[in-house]
Amino acid sequence: MNIQKKRRVTNFIALTLSSLAALSGLFWLVFILADVLINGVRGISLDLFLQDPAPPGMEGGGLRNAFVGQLMITAVATLIGVPVGVLGGTFLAEYARGRKLSRIISIVSDIMVSVPSIVVGTFVYAILVKPFGHFNGWAGAVALAIIMIPVVLRTTEDMLSMVPWSLREAAFALGAPYYKVIIQVVYRGAATGILTGVLLSIARVAGETAPLLFTSFNNSFFSLNMNEPIASLTVTIFQYAMGPYESWHAQAWAASLVITLFVLFITVLGRIILKLRFGKGNGR
Amino acid sequence: MKFFRRNPIDLLFSAITGIASVSVVVLIIGIFIALIRESLPAIDRFGVINFILTVDWDPVAEVFGALSTLLGTAITTALSLAFAIPIAIGIAIFVTEISPNFLKGPIGTAIELLAAIPSIIYGMWGLFTLAPIMEEYIEPFLQSTIGKLPLIGLLFQGTPMGIDLLTASLILSIMIIPFTASVARDSFKLTPPIVKESAYAVGATKWEVVKDVVLPYSKLGVFGGVVLSLGRAIGETMAVAFVLGNNHEIPRSLFDAAATITVSLANEFTEADTDIYLSSLYYLALILFVLSFITLATAKFFLLKAEKRYHR
Repeated sequence: MNIQKKRRVTNFIALTLSSLAALSGLFWLVFILADVLINGVRGISLDLFLQDPAPPGMEGGGLRNAFVGQLMITAVATLIGVPVGVLGGTFLAEYARGRKLSRIISIVSDIMVSVPSIVVGTFVYAILVKPFGHFNGWAGAVALAIIMIPVVLRTTEDMLSMVPWSLREAAFALGAPYYKVIIQVVYRGAATGILTGVLLSIARVAGETAPLLFTSFNNSFFSLNMNEPIASLTVTIFQYAMGPYESWHAQAWAASLVITLFVLFITVLGRIILKLRFGKGNGR
Repeated sequence: MKFFRRNPIDLLFSAITGIASVSVVVLIIGIFIALIRESLPAIDRFGVINFILTVDWDPVAEVFGALSTLLGTAITTALSLAFAIPIAIGIAIFVTEISPNFLKGPIGTAIELLAAIPSIIYGMWGLFTLAPIMEEYIEPFLQSTIGKLPLIGLLFQGTPMGIDLLTASLILSIMIIPFTASVARDSFKLTPPIVKESAYAVGATKWEVVKDVVLPYSKLGVFGGVVLSLGRAIGETMAVAFVLGNNHEIPRSLFDAAATITVSLANEFTEADTDIYLSSLYYLALILFVLSFITLATAKFFLLKAEKRYHR
């Protein structure tokens, strides 16, 4: 075989393998989504949202407690995580812009984004569960907030950095103090971007399970008391999937479907907003 | 930019935002201190080297060692990277070099969606769908083919149950493909078109351009992406918790149930009934935290270096 032909064959094989790799990525996505959809739809009913769990082993019942608990935990986490993240990002992009401190905090946040979420769970257990002697909803919310903060902080920093400096100078020239420039000019310019960052961070924590296992724990009863253990969808899925009952499995699948749809919907929404706002570019 | 210090409200606002941003650093140091404090009893009792090298994990006799979980973490992480890296790089090559323009968007979106699916969904799917398929078809097939080979065959001994290292690693690899692929894609994109065009001009094939121009040019970034995925894989919990079986023994085959640090924590943390048991679990969490912190810092280092080199 001459060298030309060999090169062409190698080229063909390599490109085919790459294309197959891309196909396999699509394959897993379709496989997983279709599976969740098919298994989940069977368990979806009005009762799932309106009824509390039946006693173990009994048919029927729903996951009202877990839906409400999940909403409460996520809402409190957002209320803690978003202000801290947005303010922190503001400091990095404005007051400490270009300083070494800003670089360091930025890098630490990037690392923090990927720190195992189960470690965050053990940390919150040590500071908010052990001292009080019982699992509680606040602890779960704090654990999720800790995961949210670096995500929101980094997106805020990026989004504020993209607001042109000349815009700020124009406001300075009118005699505005820096805080007014930030709140009235910079935040307005970056509002869409920050909002998207917040959305994506909510999507990120909505599916988190590991940090809730030892903080908000679980509760088979309907409860609005954040001082007590509170059920969440994800922990319920874990418990039900590992449990012995067919009806539990069906409900775990249904809950999985709801969470997947919620997370994917928000993710896609975030991407669309970013595309509309910042053009096709590189997704920013 | 000292001018803002003159206004008192500015001073206040900068202080508030400053505290908010420093909170990240405080949190990460706080996590480290809390983990050390909680694991002190276990560190006192079992030492460092001894804890890492002890296989026993016996809550009844109150003897704890990390070797089996560390091995489980190492094996699942290594295997999942071995599955994921070639596919992720293939995807990156396809998206940047091969794909027609109308396909780039959809495939990019699909990869991003794969990254957005919560890990507990991977776990559910792994337990109820993938594990039975592994048990019935793939593992017996592997056993009857590769399993017959000398030496390598030893890895495929035992009764295929589907709840084992191989299944867990496969799920983990599907989870980390998107991270590796997107970092690799971003690094590939940094290759200046003019360098690629020069290679095409002297008659190189597409594969030769990728292999001899794009890959060498972007190797720092790709390496950073691989290390980043490694960091993610070490700490992933729910995707493996369903299908690994939490078995504290030294695995002898890929078809054995095993335990990783994360799986032990998820399964045993709320059941730890003695102080030393809980403390030992904190010790595991501390080891996991240190391992992943070092890995992620390394990844960040390489990614920053890559960025610096190309963005000038």
